[in-house]
Amino acid sequence: MKKYIKLSAILAVFIMFVACDDKIDVDVPEAAPRLVIEASLDWEKGTVGNNQTIKLSTSTPYFQTTLNTSVIGASVKVTNNNSNVEYNFTDQNNGDYTINNFVPVIGDSYTLEVIHDGETYTATENLMPVSPIINVEQSLEGGFDDEVLDVTIFFDDPAGIDNYYMFSNKEDSDLFAELETQSDEFSDGNEQNEFFEKDKDDEDPEAEYNPGDTVNIKMYGISQRYYNYVTLLVEQYDAGGDPFAATPAEIKGNCINITNESNYAFGYFRVTEFDQVDYTFQ
Amino acid sequence: MKNSVIWICLFMSTFLFAQEKFSVSGTIKDKKNGETLLGATVYLKGTSNGAVTNEYGFFSLTAPKGTYTLVVSFIGYETISKEINLTVDQTVNFEVKEASTSLDTVVIEAEESERVSIRKPQMSVAKLNAATIKQMPVVLGEVDVIKSIQMLPGVTNSGEGTAGFNVRGGAADQNLVLLDEAIIYNTSHFFGFFSVFNADAIKDIKLYKGDIPAKYGGRISSVLDVRQKDGNSKNLEVNGGVGLISSRLAVEGPMFNKKGSFLVAGRTSYAHLFMPLIKEIKDDKISFYDLNLKANYEINKNNKVYLSGYFGRDIFDISQFIKNRYGNTSANLRWNHVFNEKLFSNLSLIYSKYDYQIVLDFIKLDWVADISNFNLKYDLRYYANDKLKLDFGVSGISYDFNPGEVKPTDPSSSINFRKLDQKRAFEAAAYMSAEHELTDKLTAQYGLRFSTFSRLGGQTLSNYANNLPVVYNNEIGIYEEGEEIGTTDYKKSKSIKTFANVEPRLGLSYQLNDNSSLKASYTRSVQYVHLLSNTVSVTPVDVWAPSGRYIKPQKSNQFAAGYYRNFNDKKYSLEFETYYKNVDNRIDYIDGSNLIGTNNIETEILNGEARAYGLEVLFRKNKGKFKGWIAYTLSKSEQRALGGNAGGPGINKGNWYNTPYDRTHDLSITGSYDLNDKWKFSANFVYQTGRPVTYPNGQYQYEGISIASFDERNANRLPAYHRLDLSATFTPTKNKNRRWQSEWVFGLYNAYARKNAASISFSQDFDSGVNEARRLSIFGSFIPSITYNFKF
Repeated sequence: MKKYIKLSAILAVFIMFVACDDKIDVDVPEAAPRLVIEASLDWEKGTVGNNQTIKLSTSTPYFQTTLNTSVIGASVKVTNNNSNVEYNFTDQNNGDYTINNFVPVIGDSYTLEVIHDGETYTATENLMPVSPIINVEQSLEGGFDDEVLDVTIFFDDPAGIDNYYMFSNKEDSDLFAELETQSDEFSDGNEQNEFFEKDKDDEDPEAEYNPGDTVNIKMYGISQRYYNYVTLLVEQYDAGGDPFAATPAEIKGNCINITNESNYAFGYFRVTEFDQVDYTFQ
Repeated sequence: MKNSVIWICLFMSTFLFAQEKFSVSGTIKDKKNGETLLGATVYLKGTSNGAVTNEYGFFSLTAPKGTYTLVVSFIGYETISKEINLTVDQTVNFEVKEASTSLDTVVIEAEESERVSIRKPQMSVAKLNAATIKQMPVVLGEVDVIKSIQMLPGVTNSGEGTAGFNVRGGAADQNLVLLDEAIIYNTSHFFGFFSVFNADAIKDIKLYKGDIPAKYGGRISSVLDVRQKDGNSKNLEVNGGVGLISSRLAVEGPMFNKKGSFLVAGRTSYAHLFMPLIKEIKDDKISFYDLNLKANYEINKNNKVYLSGYFGRDIFDISQFIKNRYGNTSANLRWNHVFNEKLFSNLSLIYSKYDYQIVLDFIKLDWVADISNFNLKYDLRYYANDKLKLDFGVSGISYDFNPGEVKPTDPSSSINFRKLDQKRAFEAAAYMSAEHELTDKLTAQYGLRFSTFSRLGGQTLSNYANNLPVVYNNEIGIYEEGEEIGTTDYKKSKSIKTFANVEPRLGLSYQLNDNSSLKASYTRSVQYVHLLSNTVSVTPVDVWAPSGRYIKPQKSNQFAAGYYRNFNDKKYSLEFETYYKNVDNRIDYIDGSNLIGTNNIETEILNGEARAYGLEVLFRKNKGKFKGWIAYTLSKSEQRALGGNAGGPGINKGNWYNTPYDRTHDLSITGSYDLNDKWKFSANFVYQTGRPVTYPNGQYQYEGISIASFDERNANRLPAYHRLDLSATFTPTKNKNRRWQSEWVFGLYNAYARKNAASISFSQDFDSGVNEARRLSIFGSFIPSITYNFKF
């Protein structure tokens, strides 16, 4: 009997972990390239926010690894609709369009205009404010796993209004940042916290946060429409087609092609305020 | 109204021809344990006059005065006959004995293949008994009703580890699943690995894929009618089993001086007992259990009462951070009353509930959602004469929907208390249907169901600009929430919205000869409650929503035709069926819809439609040492949602797209071979076209990460799914003459270790930044199992 119990225990566990995941080759459809506008005018709290960059590129087939997709020779302009001041961005010939005299004003409305290949794209967005990060703490217990370090930021949500947040966190050694969104739908007016934790990996002790690791955390105040956009983007990025996720769909941003409607651009024109903190684990 | 006059005339015409005729009625039971038998055939030898017993084992026959031989037959049982002198109305009860060798047990009795039933107009129905279900090889030896019906043509699901099932291209929420008449809202344990039906407590199941009788309503795709055993009324009996995943125990026996009987069955998984032993999962707790109860008491020969109940629960805790609890509860009190030889009635009071709770400790959130209903129904069957049988009845269902309540788990939580609007509704229905032998060859089943649904007040609803909860943003080309312009408060006594529908049902059967027939049917059905789910497979978190101001009832028309034939003295049978159905008002979800915790669900949906068509073939071998069937389905299932009043082209640009349950080809083969008294072997083989999915058609860089772009919904497919399962049952010979009976069941699931893709995900490798496709196989290998069953 003992033997039997042992056997069933092993098998029960075997079952839970029998699901296997492997890399395979798949033929995927290939769509024609589209313009990608990454126009993120982000104003860091306590700075003047004069320096801004807008990135233009094109989309590629899904598995293409050479990503030289910079778009050069376009005209990029942002207008403050409240003051009618125009900001013309300079082509850096590497896909970046920059400016060094941008003036951000909380609540003002801004319009982006991009002219590329004879087609004009426009988008309009308001500059959303954000509460400051008031505290940062590290712990073992805060996240999902009690055995790895996590870091939590604290901030106050303004009561009575709908607030939407985007968080990005990136450890020094990471190739790219991880994005998350949050709304105050269930927690309006309360002190909020958001924790960041990395999964443990038995083969890679560096995978989780360790003492000495430095992580950069940014918190953006975003519009409801951008929240919808980026939430879906993150959801689809993370899910990638698992059966408990919604059917993935084209994610449409706010950049409209007014010359040729069907040739819309990917990406988004956002104008945000953000706060950031660099934290080194103890 | 005019219609009903015609109907009544039709019924009356048959009464007028009635000459001097008498009726014989009674109940048919299993001699060994006193279980009433559903679907046993009773006929008068040498005539075409016959009947099939109903859910309570009751039959009634009417014939002209005379002397007859009454024959009772049921596959797997010895046929008995009795002389009767039909000069007065009379009651005769029978107890039939199981055929002596187990070799004759049926694999499937889709339609009892007697002459009387090949011409029964009912089509698109399959019946499986518990013995058949238990014989099929299954994952980890866990006998599973829902998996076994997927071996039938026209029935699929979204893959391993996904809940629910799909019938003829319909969605999982379009199946009416009844356990002793109580609605079961969630049919699975363990997120779909196992079903909630404990095979030890179940007598038989019946699945209507179409041609749904008028007495059923409220769902448009199918009816799965699961009946619990009544309990042995002769002796105390204990059944049990020890398996890898769960252990079961069922006790049944007579009560009240053999005037009644009871059954109590329990099943529980026990993996969680061992989990603390393993370091990685010592804080996790994953388990489920079921409790089934049934009791009946025969007050006198015309009155019998039944009580049945079910309680099931799933527990899924992950290291103290996420706690899940969910399950169904149901209870049913029934009263069978026989007015006379010709009129049988049943009154039921039924309660069912499904609730779901999740506690997320790390954000100190406690979430609860549930749906419950009370159902009072009265069904009658009138055996008018040998040519006509009438079914009629009424039912009322009162629903309570609690789509979600959020609570902070302690004062330090940043969560505010919030309760989504409670919703209430009342669904009432009345039906009448007739099984009518029009000529010697032609039999019809025609009926009408009249249903109403009232969404009751006691809540506040949002109003929207231009009455549009969803609007198309022309600039960006996406659907967005409409602009809220105030609210309307509905008093509790008021009804927010009422719907009324007439649902005609028609079936015809034409008997070509003794062994073959043609059948055709039309079913119109209406569904007033909807499961909100925008994922491929149903999850326990999905909530139900009633029709109302913004959600319309789903309406379906299904046309089906079939050819049925028995060969070689009913040793083999062949069925061809073809169907076409359309569904109006199928809810579809806008891109990026968010359903959980959303109060105004109307801002996330568009009104769509669906259609499905297919051809089903079922070839069976019913007798002998080798039994089994081959089922093949060729089908198509699509849906679309146009923009309508919301503007814009609609979802997926307004084009038809494959539903997630579209399977072009579906082949299922199941067989069992009785080698000798000791050994029995069975095998299943399944081959299916891969599930429709949406693959990316490009990528672009945004925020430093690679974002996939998509086009047409569900235009791609996963690789084909196929699998072979084997099992062997060993019955020790020393069993023969002792009370303790036992057997060992050895199983091998996914025998050739096919890595079937449950999903293919597209993601960016975190270390290299390169995009890759990854296949998730729920069972990456073959799964052996062993189960020990006993009985005394």
